[in-house]
Amino acid sequence: MTGNRGEDIATEYLWKKGYKIIERNFRTRFGEIDIVCRDGQTLVFVEVKTKIGHDFGEPEEMVNKSKIVKVKRMGEVYLQDKGLDVSCRVDVVAIVIENSWSVEKIEHYQAVY
Amino acid sequence: MACVGLQSFPVDVEVDVADRGFPAFNIVGLPDKAVGEARERVRTALVNCGFAFPQKKITINLAPADIPKEGSAYDLPIAIGILVANEDIVLKEKGLFFGELSLDGSLRHTRGALLLALFAKKVEMIRIFVPVESANEAAIVEGLEVIPVRGLKNLVEHLRFVKRIPYLKTINIKKLIETAQPEFDMAEIVGQETAKRALMVAAAGGHNILMSGPPGAGKTMLSRALPGIMPTLSVEETMEITRIYSSAGLMQPGEAVIRRRPFRSPHHSISLAGLIGGGSRPVPGEVSLAHLGVLFLDEMAEFPRSVLEAMRQPMEDGKVEISRVAGRMVYPASFQLVAAVNPCPCGYLGHPKHECRCTTRDVERYKRRISGPILDRIDLHINVPAVEAEKIIGNAEKGESSLVIREKVMKAREKQLKRLTGTGIFCNREMKNKQVKEFCRLDSGGVRILRLSMEKFDLSTRAYFRVLKVARTIADLEGSDDIQSVHLAEALQYREKVF
Repeated sequence: MTGNRGEDIATEYLWKKGYKIIERNFRTRFGEIDIVCRDGQTLVFVEVKTKIGHDFGEPEEMVNKSKIVKVKRMGEVYLQDKGLDVSCRVDVVAIVIENSWSVEKIEHYQAVY
Repeated sequence: MACVGLQSFPVDVEVDVADRGFPAFNIVGLPDKAVGEARERVRTALVNCGFAFPQKKITINLAPADIPKEGSAYDLPIAIGILVANEDIVLKEKGLFFGELSLDGSLRHTRGALLLALFAKKVEMIRIFVPVESANEAAIVEGLEVIPVRGLKNLVEHLRFVKRIPYLKTINIKKLIETAQPEFDMAEIVGQETAKRALMVAAAGGHNILMSGPPGAGKTMLSRALPGIMPTLSVEETMEITRIYSSAGLMQPGEAVIRRRPFRSPHHSISLAGLIGGGSRPVPGEVSLAHLGVLFLDEMAEFPRSVLEAMRQPMEDGKVEISRVAGRMVYPASFQLVAAVNPCPCGYLGHPKHECRCTTRDVERYKRRISGPILDRIDLHINVPAVEAEKIIGNAEKGESSLVIREKVMKAREKQLKRLTGTGIFCNREMKNKQVKEFCRLDSGGVRILRLSMEKFDLSTRAYFRVLKVARTIADLEGSDDIQSVHLAEALQYREKVF
């Protein structure tokens, strides 16, 4: 619910930024990548973190190292799956939405780790 | 360049920047923690100097892969490698790069610069780039272009031929040594003429010395003055000492060489590895840091027995061999031992005014702490009594200054050197029994004295040879070619059992 809404917002945001969206919710048995897109030549795996309100901290604080490592590993799986060998990176999009479903804050972190 | 002990090996820093896969920065080739952390230093330094850090997969290979790499000196070559791979600079000149980066891109004092310079000379790599604070160390090696680098930015300008950094002129070590003054002057020590004389003999013959006396008599002061009366260092000796200090990271920033004979006084809580050298990758211990200088053991009876016993081998051989899993290392350890002890646990045994509060058993036990074999390796044993009040308060005549004494000592050493040429040893202490027999002939009076005292004091064979060696040194000091009975008599004094 919140998550889906956030991912929609993030997709739109990235698309507006000029990223080419390739796939959403790439899923395997081991995990998931929220958005796979392309920034120029670079393949970008995006983890979206959405929260309602600022209680208990910002959304970006909720993405820890192990989560990023997980996304990275999933990225490798994706590359294998599609038989690609290109430069790539992991981004995080952190979104805060209000009760009324409107976006209060959106933050894009490139090349985390 | 990697160092194992005092040996150096070349290390190639290979940098690969790959355009696929996730961005990463990996260092392979058995890096230790400090080398591994070069990742963060290099990345931050490059960014802070205004260079783009490539978001690509970077792999650093330190070859040969099977020698463990340690230390921070690989920062600079790694950074240069990345800059070249990133096409920020084009390397048009050959050279060795060496140095630790700080986060703002400036270079820090890095240990081992002298070893690098010596190595560069050996492989005929004329140009070396070293941190400005370590450059003086490297500049004592002749025939090199030592380029002192302040920071990454300056270096890049240099390599781009925008603003060249002039290389350092070779530093004349000889001048540096000659201008070094003794740290402590013998003339400042009140009284203690006997002890000063004994120290002069010790310096002249390279003999080890044991001083026994109550607290506050001046044992520490006296021993601190010993390096100042020993012969001035030769260029080779300076290089040898500096090599040890450079590899141990004990050079001060900007310092070129160790100009004075080292004086090391480890506390008696020292561990065996601390004294002899050790660690999983062996580092030099105090005996090696005192190489060609003085190792002063204050309160020798307080040192653990095992630590003292471990000194036997270096005292005999002038070097220590340290064997560990990581390898075998040989460090030079040719030092002169100065030991100070109190005569008993309370310190006042035999004091004219102060009463000794120890029981006979206490004293016995205390004396047993230093083993016979160790005492046997010390040629001179002297008493350092408390100084009389008159001498301290009154304007007692100042003794000879260290420089004057040193002159005499050096003359005596010259005599020894001339006599010992071709034997492979350099001072009287090192003489073997064969050489003692050859060089220490006595006149008939001397033979008589020696026979008498051997019977009276029950001297052992080893003690006999030691007395002769010391007598030889005293004769050298007096400029006499043969040992006269006065010389022998003085030598016998230093045999007195003081501990």
